[in-house]
Amino acid sequence: MSSGIVFDIKEFAVHDGPGIRTTVFLKGCPMSCMWCHNPEGQSRQPQVIRSRVGERTAGTEYTPEELAAVLNLQVAILRANEGGITFSGGEPLLQADFVIEVIDLLDEVHILLDTSGYGPEEDFRRLVERCDLVFFDLKLIDSNAHRHFTGCDNALILRNLSILTEMGKPFVVRVPMVPGVTDTDQNLADIVQTVRGLAGLQRVELLPYNKAAGSKYQPAGMEFKPEYDESQELNLNTALFEQANIKVTIA
Amino acid sequence: MNERLTAMKDRVRAGEHHSLRQAAPIEILAECESRQLSWPRRVALLVRRQCEAERVVIEADERIVFTRTLPGIPPIYSPEQWTQMTAGKTLHEFGPVNNICADWDLLLSQGLLGRRQVALATRERLIDQPEAVEFIDCAVETIEAVLGLAARYAEAACREGREDIAAILEHVPAHPARSFHEALQALRLCHAVAWLSGHYHVGLGRFDQYMWPYLCSDLQAGQLTIESAEELLAEFFISLNKDSDLYPGVQQGDNGQSLTLGGVTPEGGPAVNELTRMSLRVSRDLAMIDPKINLRISAQTDLDLLSLATELTRIGLGFPQYSNDDVIIPALVSHGYAPEDARDYAVAACWEFIIPGRGMEVVNIGAVSFPAAVDQAIRAGLDARDDFEGLLRRVSENITTQVDKLGEIYSQLLLPPAPYYSLFMQGCLEGGKDLSGGLKYNNYGIHGACAANAADALAAVKQFVFEDGSISSSDLLSALDANYVGYEPIQRKLADEGPKTGNNDARVDTLLAGLFDFFAEACEGYGRTPRGGILRPGTGSAMYYIWLAMGHDGMREPVVGATADGRRSGEPFGANLSPALGVRVRGPISMLQSFAKIDYQRIFNGGPITMELSDSVFRTPEAIQKTAMLVRTFAQLGCQQLQLNSLSLETLLEAQKHPKKYKNLIVRVWGWSGYFCELAPEYQEQIIARHYYESSGP
Repeated sequence: MSSGIVFDIKEFAVHDGPGIRTTVFLKGCPMSCMWCHNPEGQSRQPQVIRSRVGERTAGTEYTPEELAAVLNLQVAILRANEGGITFSGGEPLLQADFVIEVIDLLDEVHILLDTSGYGPEEDFRRLVERCDLVFFDLKLIDSNAHRHFTGCDNALILRNLSILTEMGKPFVVRVPMVPGVTDTDQNLADIVQTVRGLAGLQRVELLPYNKAAGSKYQPAGMEFKPEYDESQELNLNTALFEQANIKVTIA
Repeated sequence: MNERLTAMKDRVRAGEHHSLRQAAPIEILAECESRQLSWPRRVALLVRRQCEAERVVIEADERIVFTRTLPGIPPIYSPEQWTQMTAGKTLHEFGPVNNICADWDLLLSQGLLGRRQVALATRERLIDQPEAVEFIDCAVETIEAVLGLAARYAEAACREGREDIAAILEHVPAHPARSFHEALQALRLCHAVAWLSGHYHVGLGRFDQYMWPYLCSDLQAGQLTIESAEELLAEFFISLNKDSDLYPGVQQGDNGQSLTLGGVTPEGGPAVNELTRMSLRVSRDLAMIDPKINLRISAQTDLDLLSLATELTRIGLGFPQYSNDDVIIPALVSHGYAPEDARDYAVAACWEFIIPGRGMEVVNIGAVSFPAAVDQAIRAGLDARDDFEGLLRRVSENITTQVDKLGEIYSQLLLPPAPYYSLFMQGCLEGGKDLSGGLKYNNYGIHGACAANAADALAAVKQFVFEDGSISSSDLLSALDANYVGYEPIQRKLADEGPKTGNNDARVDTLLAGLFDFFAEACEGYGRTPRGGILRPGTGSAMYYIWLAMGHDGMREPVVGATADGRRSGEPFGANLSPALGVRVRGPISMLQSFAKIDYQRIFNGGPITMELSDSVFRTPEAIQKTAMLVRTFAQLGCQQLQLNSLSLETLLEAQKHPKKYKNLIVRVWGWSGYFCELAPEYQEQIIARHYYESSGP
């Protein structure tokens, strides 16, 4: 049995999938995206957040039984409202064994995995198998740029994307739109090339840049160092997707 | 909204009509004295002289008229006489009858002349009962006064070439309304005269029920289209915002002009109609603080209606407030309300359930301070080395003491005569009795304030002092006495590590429900009041979330200092049913589950679960439907009342810095919505504190 670490549980997470959902944010992420707006999700260790509300510790240890018990208290309500549980982070793949144990202990409910796709293939397969829907992030297709802006290579991500489609799971590709970084016509065209025709792809969701991304770094004792101009207008070029017959939405 | 309405709204918000107001209130004390008038006759004279002194205002683009020009209500007794008359008595708030609900259908369906006919028949029948005769004469005097005012408006309209307005006012309010337009005009005038007579928190009751027949027949006859009806309704709603700065209240906006929609008919059938939806649409498009919309729902209410209502929440109006018929109606019935009356309830100024035309209830005689009851019990109980059960017994006793004290104070209640308001109450003209003598329902209501902090304090003491022993009794008592100065680790432990209300955590929710059980027992044990009513326990806090923490002149409830939930002295409490300020909860589902544990069959005076949603929730269109589902979940879980707010912390902070830029920013304060920039700083700060949690999550 493995315990896990969670940095928040948020109910009525209206942007995290269909219906009324509760999202579990798992702490720890192998990536360090320059635009990350949940920096307290990066480290696996509990950390102190100091803000005008006071001081608190982000990161609570749960056994699978404990977390499942908390979630099962509301599963019936989530089910009745066409929703379910979303596992997000951080990166849930980093705690795959824990998340799998939790899912196995949950009552019947819709499960959504919100992942960067960066994790071992075996873990990815076992986790995806237990989910009803996957939100799969694609950030940059150019591997050099990906390494520069996220701190890791995207080969593993692209391989997991093909595994996802091979497994026949429905999924949504989500692209965080970072001005001048991920929103370039070149990168969007590369994404179109990568995802066009993939079985199971429901739509592509463009996530407009979160201008408050930097606000949580200082409270978490971290430093926000964007190498891009936050105020630059986004290139929400949906036409590239539409031309390729890919359903696209802006969240 | 067309240009005419937009211009009208802008003028009202800018207060342009204030320049039409008279410089000072009229003076009638000398006349009251020289004529040696009785109290009822003085009140009737007040209504008459106020109506006579009103100056006619007809704006060129208005189709529903009446603009109040009198700035205040003149005294009818000298201060010395008043002190003498009220010695040993209890006045409710400012004194005049308030926060009850008229049966406006009596006005619309009978007209004032119809009401006069009823009055005169009673006078004939009770001619040998001087009190009845005097009451009838006073009531008739107020009828004549309003008819005189209407006639002056009609004449002026004629002179100004406004035959449309003249024609309407020559017919209403004297006669029964024949159209939706006439009904709105009659209501506007007669509702405003209630305010002008010194009454306040004058609500509008079940507007979509008594108004619907007029609209329905106009629509069927082709006299109105949906669009033209909406335009009239919008003008009526704007008119309700004209005089609100003249209304008394704790804060600007606290005026109780509430309007109830939806629910069931007195017979139990569905009551939602086109006017229900129209009222919601118009209120959404106007985005003004009055009237304050209450929507009655049940677990069966369809999502379309809830989605429409959510559009008001989305733009930040702080209403509608939802009341759940599934729990409220049975609770009213089990406490002596006839089923057809219970099904006909309306929501009073804030949240209390009252029966239009049939209740002279005082639904807010005061509050039980749960934090004080718990704090005193913790201090005395730990000192006396009680076990936890013994400590709970003290809490129960303290609550009973508070309830009994309020009951005793109000056993001396003195209600002034209200001949004008009596016109619109069932049985007053018919029986020759002023409403202040009592109506069919005469109960009192008591708020149950700041329960979350109190339950959290109990839960923390139970866990840390009685169970794991990690805090000693003496350290806790010293820490409380020192307001946690020098005891910061204890403060943090209490604030951060104890179980908290709002997380669906049985360890604390059981104590929360227990506090309300004690409250119910205290009210049930009190028995009957001298007015023949019972005490109704509720879940609202009203302004007590500030007052109980900071004190207030003339308040009867005990103030508390630092509390064992880690709250420091002077820090405000949570509003109504909400987690304590600064407590992180998982969100709306757990909150609803926590508050669903209260026994609303015994706790039935109202008081909403108060929830703050970040405005980012409404970024996408699906959020409307999801929020509607959340509201339906509230009803399905058996909760009683819900109020949702949508705002961003950034907007509030900006509004504090640049009030002029944000003068139209609306927030829900307790039972009512107001303009944020018009609130006193302590109320602004409390609202900002509610939003910290939302803004600090992922």
